[in-house]
Amino acid sequence: MTVAISQKDQVLTPSVAAQKGYPDVRADIDNVTRPVVFGLFTTAIMWLVVASVLNCITALKLQFPSFLNFSFLSYGRVAPAAEGVFLLGWCSLAGMGVGLWIVMRQSSRTSPGVGMAYLGVGLWNLGVLVGLVATLMGQVRPFAGLEFPFASAVLIFAGFSFVAFWLFLSFDGGAENTPIASMFVLGAICWFVWSFLTGNLLLSSNRFTGAMEHIVSAWTSHGLVWLWLVPLAFGVAYYLVPKVTGRPIFSGPVARVSFWLFFILGGLTSMVQLSGGPVPLWLTSVGSGASILLLVPIGAIIYNLYASAKGSDRVGVSPSASFVRFGLIVALVAAAFAALGSLRSVDHIVHSTLFHVGVQSLVLQGFVSMVIFGAIYYIMPRLSGCEWISSSLISLHFLGASYGVAMGCVMLLLSGVFSGIDLADADSLFSQVLQSSAFFYWGRTMSFGLLFVGYAAFVLHFVLMVLRIGQPEGEATLMRGAHGH
Amino acid sequence: MSRSGLLFPGIFASFALSLGATVLLPFSQLGGLSPDFKSEDGLVSEIYPIPVQGLPQIGKQVYVAQGCQACHTQFIRGVEASDIERGWGERRTVARDYVSEKGSPLGSLRIGPDLSNVGSVKWRNEPLGDPSAPAKRDASWHLRHLYNPKERLQDSNMPSYRHLFETRKQVGAPSSDALSLSGEAAPEPGYEVVPTASAKALVAYLGSLDRSHPLKEAGAGSVASQKK
Repeated sequence: MTVAISQKDQVLTPSVAAQKGYPDVRADIDNVTRPVVFGLFTTAIMWLVVASVLNCITALKLQFPSFLNFSFLSYGRVAPAAEGVFLLGWCSLAGMGVGLWIVMRQSSRTSPGVGMAYLGVGLWNLGVLVGLVATLMGQVRPFAGLEFPFASAVLIFAGFSFVAFWLFLSFDGGAENTPIASMFVLGAICWFVWSFLTGNLLLSSNRFTGAMEHIVSAWTSHGLVWLWLVPLAFGVAYYLVPKVTGRPIFSGPVARVSFWLFFILGGLTSMVQLSGGPVPLWLTSVGSGASILLLVPIGAIIYNLYASAKGSDRVGVSPSASFVRFGLIVALVAAAFAALGSLRSVDHIVHSTLFHVGVQSLVLQGFVSMVIFGAIYYIMPRLSGCEWISSSLISLHFLGASYGVAMGCVMLLLSGVFSGIDLADADSLFSQVLQSSAFFYWGRTMSFGLLFVGYAAFVLHFVLMVLRIGQPEGEATLMRGAHGH
Repeated sequence: MSRSGLLFPGIFASFALSLGATVLLPFSQLGGLSPDFKSEDGLVSEIYPIPVQGLPQIGKQVYVAQGCQACHTQFIRGVEASDIERGWGERRTVARDYVSEKGSPLGSLRIGPDLSNVGSVKWRNEPLGDPSAPAKRDASWHLRHLYNPKERLQDSNMPSYRHLFETRKQVGAPSSDALSLSGEAAPEPGYEVVPTASAKALVAYLGSLDRSHPLKEAGAGSVASQKK
């Protein structure tokens, strides 16, 4: 389904719908989903603030090792705490809010039992809180990207499953065609449920020890990013682009083929993380090959969206379109760097450096988060019944977030490359390796200043929206032409 | 755009392919590994690696809880990398090196040096013959390094782990555990710095880290039992 709607897609609150004689179904859906989506967004944004502060502390600690030198704030605890809260708190909760709203809108129905969704949101948040506190107390698992302890994973899984179950009850599986946006969202949700469950169960099994545990954890943590959040963000983009531009998706067949290719190849890329480690060589070669091939579906998805939006006069002025456009460009860059980094000759240099942290930041901060911001700018007016109050705040958010992300990631990537070159040269002292990163640490720390300005503008704006302080509903708030279109 | 009926089986197929190819297939290859080497008559002639037990086992929990794995890896790459030349190990590490371990802190970032073999007397992080290199990295060196890394290695960017130590008033003769500290790191007169049980366990764990046992699959010599 690619509903071509009028360019002035008006807010459909119950009152507007009644006045215009619309069937009340969308308003009904919004009434049911509103508290759930509000709950997911509000708690996600709280985690975004927590994660940003923790990330900034992490960056400062790389520069000044004795900064805030308390046991619970040691680098080895703050860094995984920041990563976990950002991924499972902010990205996942907000992403679920957006995904849920899109699927319910597209399937034009809701289901009873919203109580289980409330329960889910509560358990999920409790899980993130338990994970954060446990990590700062040192109760972690020694697996990169899956440091939150088992108890936290159980709560997060239970919470996620309750919300997902309510969503599936509402999904109209009998329909002849599922819109591509819903396909991506539903596929992503299934992947999260299956891989998070399987991975955590295998890790708690005594038959998996040593290197096998790291294979399982690399597979699971990679799935959280590349098969839950990335396809979710693609689904959101597939929803927003036609809505904002009022045009249909350029090619249905391309959308379908790239969807399947993405999931098949994406599932095979995870082992690049372990290259050089104590695992069979063929395993990392599979990952490398799949990472390069994955550029094909990702390129096709992005081209399809680009061709759909091309020439629309809404792209430069609509907040949603601007954030989504930025996110998609970053997605292409990130996929290219991931493929490049998986080549054995490049991997020899950049492995075990901040290069991979840079690629991960591109994906999570530059792509997933930006697309979610774009969706929140689209969804919130439809739920709160008023429009965003200030186009300046939106522009400030966009500028701060986009320049902040770009600067931070460039610094991480460069630091990875330069320290990797020194590390590969056995004649260079280890202290030289540290020094070659120092300059880039400065740049990364400063990028948080930009990010904070952008995120602060967004958080303030969001709070105003929840309090229903905004412009009268009807005409969407557009961005100032601050970025040259 | 697509028949809904195909969506869930299709996604499940992609999941099953991923799990099968990148988790279960390596498991069929590595899952049967055992630390026992058997001679021809079927008797266990050698065990490697010996499971970490006792104080080092407690120290491993301290290592993980302090998040050491956020900056230090515990795997050695082959000759294509500089790991061996840097003195971090004599051979690459392979799956068998970890087979007895549950929750081995492999790490993924090298903000500090690799620690796979830090307990070996041959371990170094300086070029051979570097006069600034510590004479040896024994338990007392590790304790002082954890307490104040910069006092031991001027260019270190490792944070101090002072919270694993106790500064207490000296009563009678100095404690045998007390660190011999000088300069800025030294406590006030009449006080002494002693390691907590966690610090001692952590250092015992570091001292136990040695994965240099020759293994055929790591391409470093042959094990006596494998020659038979």
